[in-house]
Amino acid sequence: MGANGMSVTYLEAIREAQARALAADPRVFVYGQDVGAFGGAFKATKNLAAEHPGRVLDAPISEDAMVGLAVGCAMEGLRPIIEMQFADFSLVGFNQIVNQAATLYWRTGQPCPLVIRLPSGGTVGSGPFHSQSLESIYAHYPGLVVLTPATVEDAYSMLLEAVALDDPVIFCEHKLLYYHLKAERLPDAALPVGKARISREGRDATVVSYSAMVHEALAAAEELAGEGTQIEVVDLRSVKPLDTDTVMASVARTGRLLCVGEGWPWGGVTAEVVARVVGEGLDLLDAPPLRLNARNTPVPFHPHLWAAHRPTARAIATALRKLLRL
Amino acid sequence: MPQIPIIMPQLGESIAEASIVRMLAAPGETVRADQEVLEVETNKATLNVVAPCRGQLARWTVELNESYPVGAVLGYLEATAEDVQAFGLTEAPTAPSDPADFTAGDAAEPPEPPPTRVQPTVRGLPVPAHAGGASYMSPRLKARMAELGLHAADLAGVAGSGAGGRVTIQDFEAFIAALDRHKQTPASSMRVAVADAMRRSWSRPLATVGTPVALDRLLEHRLTCQPKPGPALYALRALAIALSENSAPAGRLVGRKIVHPSSIDIGFAVEADDGVLVPVLREVDRRPLAELVGLYANLVDLARQRRLPADATGAAIGVVTNFGTFGLTWATPIPLPEQTLVLGLGAGRKAPVWDEAAGKFLPVIEAQLTLSFDHRVLDGGAAGRLLARVADLMNRPGNL
Repeated sequence: MGANGMSVTYLEAIREAQARALAADPRVFVYGQDVGAFGGAFKATKNLAAEHPGRVLDAPISEDAMVGLAVGCAMEGLRPIIEMQFADFSLVGFNQIVNQAATLYWRTGQPCPLVIRLPSGGTVGSGPFHSQSLESIYAHYPGLVVLTPATVEDAYSMLLEAVALDDPVIFCEHKLLYYHLKAERLPDAALPVGKARISREGRDATVVSYSAMVHEALAAAEELAGEGTQIEVVDLRSVKPLDTDTVMASVARTGRLLCVGEGWPWGGVTAEVVARVVGEGLDLLDAPPLRLNARNTPVPFHPHLWAAHRPTARAIATALRKLLRL
Repeated sequence: MPQIPIIMPQLGESIAEASIVRMLAAPGETVRADQEVLEVETNKATLNVVAPCRGQLARWTVELNESYPVGAVLGYLEATAEDVQAFGLTEAPTAPSDPADFTAGDAAEPPEPPPTRVQPTVRGLPVPAHAGGASYMSPRLKARMAELGLHAADLAGVAGSGAGGRVTIQDFEAFIAALDRHKQTPASSMRVAVADAMRRSWSRPLATVGTPVALDRLLEHRLTCQPKPGPALYALRALAIALSENSAPAGRLVGRKIVHPSSIDIGFAVEADDGVLVPVLREVDRRPLAELVGLYANLVDLARQRRLPADATGAAIGVVTNFGTFGLTWATPIPLPEQTLVLGLGAGRKAPVWDEAAGKFLPVIEAQLTLSFDHRVLDGGAAGRLLARVADLMNRPGNL
């Protein structure tokens, strides 16, 4: 937490949530590459090893082994928090996550309380192997909960709730928000997991987004407010479970939907949202629902290409103007 | 020498392709810029494709009588590099561009692109004009209209603010809200039924033709009958005979087929409270006028009492309406939605008609006979011939 409790970043909120979980429950431990003395690749576990000796453990460079060990520990009654250095690397442990952790309860009736933290999403110059957004991949699998906090408060409260859940949770924390996103203090209360938030109210169109894209959508909404249109922004918070009710209620108010995600365009969260709205609420739509995703290429390294690759406030504003003209 | 593609130009707004009629230049021939080199035919006209610049025709890549889309390469022209530059043309690709040229993010300004001439904007099949515009209704608008029991025709007066002038849900709600400022009374079920039939019928291209018919002989004949048939019944019987000779004009167009009438059943319009009822006389071609008179009078009575039997309604191939009873001389009635024809009879008036034999105008009781029809099924000529035959039959009332 920042000095005098005046300001806390998204990254600090994640550290504080882990510190609180470690302090509150002796079954919790943190496991990952360099999470111990080094404090984690992004310092999300800074000083935790010293504060909780023997419960913040360095892992070998094998995501496969890390998840396998954590699943075993969960079966034995512990509540592990795994840190992947980058979301991209979790794919090395993919088999353990989707075939072991996700199916365990359904195969054996035994819960698998496990949190896998994925530092996700693009940042300037991160390139194809350190920028991926994998929420759609994991959300595809039954048995996994996939959380995508967009605010400091949500990063804190949702990580605590993730640790408390008996299901394996994929916790997608956005690297772009780590240092710049700040809040005055950590929250005392929070919306439950699985409930979306109306981040900004509006009557002309609904933007559904999550994670860092919420901030791009809010900036776009601000820009369009200057043009006399009121954009409603829905922050899904959790992409699985997906709060269809809140989305549908918003579309019922506005009649128009744009769904924005940082993942790739083929399928995914935005497609799922559009499919649900069209399937259950076609009569709410006064215009075709639109989606805006990253481009259908690996995430580029060069800052200019990266800026053109991901949805930005400008791209969202352009898409909204098109949607409002339809 | 650079090879320049000759491209199928955009030949018209709705033209997607054209077929090759004639090559106007042969490979090896030297052509001027804008010289006509190829004759193509669209579904609307024959047009010429011109050379994009001067040069030597290298080869054609198309076959005679084959059809090619707008934007297709039709052949190649060898032109000098200077001409290519001067005309701002794109050379046919020979080798991939050097990837080393790519310097994204380089601080240096990119070189100024060469000035380009107007290029064909379409490089493939153009997107056909879609069903946007005022006729497009969103699912939400449709749902809302269904909820309120409205039809597209009810929105005719709403100026849409959406793409292509479509009515958005906001436009619609504003329209509905504005209605509350006016006095509103419920429409009778008869009114709603007529509205529904007319709205459905109006989805077709309807046309009307007319001709005067002399009623003198008919009126004389009428006096000899007991009970007396009305003029509309003469017209009805005449129409039935004309259609029994050739029923095609009363056929219905469904898809690519004409559905012919199986029986010459003809209805007639009876004004009722706040609407119109149409009783039907069956197999009119087989019943002489004398037999029809009683049936006709009976049906008129039943219609006015709203007690028409089921077999006396529906399933007619045409309708006769005597708008002359309203004092009207001319009208363009609308056929029922499931029918192709409606025959109208105007009010009889004494009019001077030039008699060639007598060398003077003679007073004649004349009425206008109109035929409104579905123009998809028949044209003015066929409608005119049918109407002339009906007028002719009405002039010989003894045969009816």
